[in-house]
Amino acid sequence: MKVIIADDSQVMRTIIEKVVRPLGYEAMHACNGQEVLSLLEKGCEGIDLILMDWNMPVLNGLEALNLIRKSNQFSSIPVLMVSTESEDDKIRQALDAGASGYISKPFTSETLAAVISKAQEKRGV
Amino acid sequence: MKPILLNDCSREVSLLLADLLDEKALLLNERFENHKRLDDYRMIVLETRSDQKRVLNQISKMRYACNFRNIPIIVMRGREDHFPVQHYIMAGATEVLSLTDPPAACRQILQGYLIPDRRPLDQEMEYLKPFIENTVSVIQTMTSGTAEFREMYFSNAFRIFGDISGIIGLSGDAEGTVVLTFYWALAWRIISKMMQVQEEAINAELIHDGVGELINMISGSTKKNFVGTHYHYELSLPTVVVGSGHQIGHPEGASIAILIFDMDNSSFAVHVCLKPMKGTS
Repeated sequence: MKVIIADDSQVMRTIIEKVVRPLGYEAMHACNGQEVLSLLEKGCEGIDLILMDWNMPVLNGLEALNLIRKSNQFSSIPVLMVSTESEDDKIRQALDAGASGYISKPFTSETLAAVISKAQEKRGV
Repeated sequence: MKPILLNDCSREVSLLLADLLDEKALLLNERFENHKRLDDYRMIVLETRSDQKRVLNQISKMRYACNFRNIPIIVMRGREDHFPVQHYIMAGATEVLSLTDPPAACRQILQGYLIPDRRPLDQEMEYLKPFIENTVSVIQTMTSGTAEFREMYFSNAFRIFGDISGIIGLSGDAEGTVVLTFYWALAWRIISKMMQVQEEAINAELIHDGVGELINMISGSTKKNFVGTHYHYELSLPTVVVGSGHQIGHPEGASIAILIFDMDNSSFAVHVCLKPMKGTS
């Protein structure tokens, strides 16, 4: 299984990778939404999950999510939004845009793993 | 009453200060040792002779020993000292006076620095408490370590004496800045704990990155507490500044709350400058 971890913080990408690896994921890193789209368009096939930070430079997570959901090719890939902002309207905004789940920072490894497992179950993995 | 440390001052300077300062002030003339904590002094006075570089080095060490407390460090320049004042200020001094300055002016300046920092009012605690709670929670969640809130005060001195600061601008119903300041060694330890790697595996770039992420999390998680209040804000992308004694600008007329936390035998500080904008509810 392959996951794209999109966060402008290398520290956060490393922390997240340490959680997803034991779950059986091979991780690819992206520093912003534009890099996520590039990875998808480059033909990185078999992407099973995208973990995407909201506040990123160049193209933020929500903008990238909107583009992914509009595309014919990638619209079915589960995208979990990760953000420091945990207000209800932000969560609703992400879910309305097609996010498969929402994780607030800071999170524990257990919380992140649980949200990922839930997304896997929904997809029937 | 807390004493005033005269660091290895001459008899001339000691007598002058005794005359200038309140009679009740307790003056201790002794040599600063590097390991000594200076949290419990009201003021520190150093005298320069022809050894400016040594004094600069000492000011830096003293500033660290103040442990984020806003303790005035006063440099009393000898008559022959023509070293640029800015160098002392950059090293961490609060004020530079000279033996040739008019005594009345010196008295007024010194007495001004003896006025204690203001403590927060109850209504100010309304927006400070969430920052305290979320700082402790973010550090605990991300590092499995414990940060204990020690104290807070308000300061209009905009200088931050740490080695690395994460800064985030706030805008919207309330405007301002939140700053997270560490000494280098503690930042190093915290980021290695966050990443669950040995300290040797951490480099400066990761520390900058991690400190930026921590201030982002502290400001972001606190924001939720202010939904529906006039303290609600939007976040900018964080910036990280490295270097001792850097200065941060704040909106005019705003007070800056300095929150000090203890962790792993060191300290770190969160500076909160938050001002509700007029005309918002």
